[in-house]
Amino acid sequence: MKIFATLARGSLIAYTALFFAFIYIPLALIAVYSFNANPVNMMTWTGFTTEWYAQVLGFKTKISENALYLESTSQLVEALWNSLIIATSTTAIATVLGSAMAIALYRFDFFGRRFYRTVMFMPMLMPDIVLGIALLIFFVNSGINLGLKTIIIGQCTFLISYVFIVVTARLAGMDRTLENASADLGANEWTTFRKVVFPQLLPGIVGGALLAFIISMDDLVITYFIAGVDVTTLPMFIFAMLRRGIKPEINAIAVMMLTFSFLIASLGLYLRSRQK
Amino acid sequence: MRDSIVRLDKAAKAFATPEGQTVTALDAIDLDVSRNEFLTLLGPSGCGKTTLLQAISGFVQLDGGRILIDGEDMTDRPPYRRPVNTVFQNYALFPHMTVGENTGYALEVAGVVKAERTKRVGDALRMVGLEGMEGRKPRQLSGGQQQRVALARAIIARPKLLLLDEPLSALDKNLRQSMQIELKTLQHELGISFIFVTHDQQEALTMSDRVAVLSGGRIQQLDTPRAIYDQPKNSFVATFVGASNLFEGEAGSGQLVTRDGLSISHGRQGATGAATALIRPEQFFIAQADDSTPSLDVDLEQIVFVGSTFELFGRTATGRRVIAEIPAMRRSLVGEIEQTRRARLAYDPAAVHLLPAEAA
Repeated sequence: MKIFATLARGSLIAYTALFFAFIYIPLALIAVYSFNANPVNMMTWTGFTTEWYAQVLGFKTKISENALYLESTSQLVEALWNSLIIATSTTAIATVLGSAMAIALYRFDFFGRRFYRTVMFMPMLMPDIVLGIALLIFFVNSGINLGLKTIIIGQCTFLISYVFIVVTARLAGMDRTLENASADLGANEWTTFRKVVFPQLLPGIVGGALLAFIISMDDLVITYFIAGVDVTTLPMFIFAMLRRGIKPEINAIAVMMLTFSFLIASLGLYLRSRQK
Repeated sequence: MRDSIVRLDKAAKAFATPEGQTVTALDAIDLDVSRNEFLTLLGPSGCGKTTLLQAISGFVQLDGGRILIDGEDMTDRPPYRRPVNTVFQNYALFPHMTVGENTGYALEVAGVVKAERTKRVGDALRMVGLEGMEGRKPRQLSGGQQQRVALARAIIARPKLLLLDEPLSALDKNLRQSMQIELKTLQHELGISFIFVTHDQQEALTMSDRVAVLSGGRIQQLDTPRAIYDQPKNSFVATFVGASNLFEGEAGSGQLVTRDGLSISHGRQGATGAATALIRPEQFFIAQADDSTPSLDVDLEQIVFVGSTFELFGRTATGRRVIAEIPAMRRSLVGEIEQTRRARLAYDPAAVHLLPAEAA
């Protein structure tokens, strides 16, 4: 029996190790190869360099002077810039509208309340490809020129849902008697909202905003449909790179995006833990 | 007439249940609470006591009637404009604020300057025995301490009236008893009226100047704790407050005869008609077989030792249940009847209380 228990324990440990290896080794490889000095084939290790990072960040490097290298850094920076503009705008719009909607549905009882709630969940359940094509048809038929503006509007349609859901979850955990206590102590509804409801809701709102930002930075399918010809976002640029041939700087971009997402997620977790 | 701080004038409220029925929570209640009075609203759950409290604090809008606080009509005023503060059942402390910020909330909202606020927060916390705890968060406090913060927060703005909604129900027994005494002391120090809601009759009797026993949205009896206990107006009050032995029957001068033929002596001369006699368990004492004081002979079913007393559960020859409480001092007598399983329970006729008969 003892042997059996040891065996079971051993297999469990092995399974756990494999599980995490499967998830994290590809990511680790990308991080390692982002320091690979081979300018042509990124899977063959030829030495350590930090020049890919310098390259992505727009510095002159030896790589860019190499004859085998195709210059595309300015396009990359432009794509990144576009993504940041889009993510910031959509986050701002989706956070305000999504939170307002969540608060309204929680606070007031009105006709169609349950219907609204269901409608808010719909964009999350809809396949991206369907939403993308629907938005494209809508923009084209209503004569709106595709570009940054349509990407922002398009992404907001589903990002509002994400914010709504995160804020609603936070609201559901809130104690209504706290609002009564505030009113009892002489605060009118606005003061109660400002001093009692909003501060408790803030971690939810910040969490929703961070989520919206990351999803927006990351979105490819929907954005691809509604971007038009002039605007390229970072995920679109990376996707296009794949077709033109994978270039080693993609590793550096991936590591930087990963680090950025990690920082945002950590910030979110930190804010949440501080509120508890 | 006594100086009134709260007056309810035919206050009425009905709720619709999800099943489509209506429940009358307040049935045209008239109530006067005097200045500096400690009034307890006592009743089982669903009797309307919490609704009554919320009607005073403003969280429940009346369907009919009026509420006056210190002579001013408050019926249509929102909660935040009433000179009343509440200690909530689950304390309802703001989790994102410190103890000091919680306590000073009413002052901050009212726009009191910081220096004065800090001083008064210190004073209020000192009153409830939490000196120097300003910087803590509510979650770092024990239940009893949270209770005190809720109390400090509710009294800091010097309300004309403090409402307490079962504030002690979450505390353990020992803490609850010491808090009962502290609340009573605090009320004297502050010199304001307290309206206290509870379903615990012991708590009501311990602390109150007057107790209002509620049932079915009506005040069944409003009286001092002693009067509630000794002279309940009806069988609901008699059974809800304390344990009781009730004997329904036909009253005559000095005697009441039950349908099953028991004869209960009482001190009321000239009583007639249908009535119910009330004998509290502790009014019984164990008599010798040849004793001539009025008594009931019972067969004992259970003898329970509860520390300070023995509780005797017996039945008369006609099968009627009788509860008696015998002081633990008398344990030699109890030892005797434990052998025989029979007892003669004597009582003083003068202490027997007669209730008017009720329409069934």
